[in-house]
Amino acid sequence: MAEQPIEPIHQFRINNLFDIGTFGGNGTPGSGTHLAFTNSALFMVLTVGLIMAFLILGSSRRAIVPTRMQLMTEMSYEFIANMVRNTAGTEGMKFFPMVFSLFMFILVANLFGMFPYFFTVTSHIIITTMMALLVFFTVIIYGFYKNGFKFLKLFVPSGIPIYILPMVVLIEIISFLSRPLSHSLRLFGNILAGHIVLKVFGGMVVALLGAGAWGFFSIAPFGMAVALTGLEFLVAALQAFVFAVLTCVYLHDAIHPGH
Amino acid sequence: MSRGLRLGSEFVAAIFVGAGLGYIIDMFLPTRPWGLVVLLLLGFAAGVLNVVRATAQMNAETAVPKDTPALPDDEDQ
Repeated sequence: MAEQPIEPIHQFRINNLFDIGTFGGNGTPGSGTHLAFTNSALFMVLTVGLIMAFLILGSSRRAIVPTRMQLMTEMSYEFIANMVRNTAGTEGMKFFPMVFSLFMFILVANLFGMFPYFFTVTSHIIITTMMALLVFFTVIIYGFYKNGFKFLKLFVPSGIPIYILPMVVLIEIISFLSRPLSHSLRLFGNILAGHIVLKVFGGMVVALLGAGAWGFFSIAPFGMAVALTGLEFLVAALQAFVFAVLTCVYLHDAIHPGH
Repeated sequence: MSRGLRLGSEFVAAIFVGAGLGYIIDMFLPTRPWGLVVLLLLGFAAGVLNVVRATAQMNAETAVPKDTPALPDDEDQ
């Protein structure tokens, strides 16, 4: 280990665990879509498995005086349900299953990433983008389904003089289209940057310890790594919450366009 | 810190989307630099709009409830 250069990006590499097969293509190497069960997929399965175990075990007893497990499950439900009611309105409870699934998936995936040698699913932009696009298209499809063409009032704020209306509508459209981008980049960026910084400080400790008398100073990056680990736990929970809150804010627009 | 990152990403995302839209329009219409220029500037405007909205929403979340009793201060004595 000591001879290898410390590579902070290595932890995000995707490896094929076992192959599923190649679909399509004409048989020559490199054509078609190659599918494999990767370490990313493994941790997604583990994440979903842990959430299911947590919820099924917690809700199986249904005691009036809850056990600790049941209390934790009920608290996670209450927390998200209150947030959805406050942010998206009571009608938003239709989307509670989606918001709850997104929140729990991101939270558990982020916390899984805090284990050493574990893969962090949410540090890949394709995962966060797909979740953000899911919310984006849910908002558009449900908005048109519920409100018809009145949904377009979202882009036309009331009380604007007619001569600057075209510009305002264009700005509103750009603002609307920028949502999935900022929604996905925020989660991805926070998780990626946090894990890289942790690795860099960890690597600094190793490098200083290997440099003779300089090893004394390795206490500084070590303290930094310890502090950052605490911060990363905060970021892991906070980013899951922020993603869920913004999902509710966007759903509120779909339910009540035109404010 | 998460508030700052949120506002920053809201602002930057709108600029990227504005520039991207302008670039796409220029690819299909003979308006070459102008689509990008105009939509990039509108992207800045949309970014400011995003930031204002996000801040208003954050302020609303942490607002003091209206029925909070006023704290006694020096002038009351």
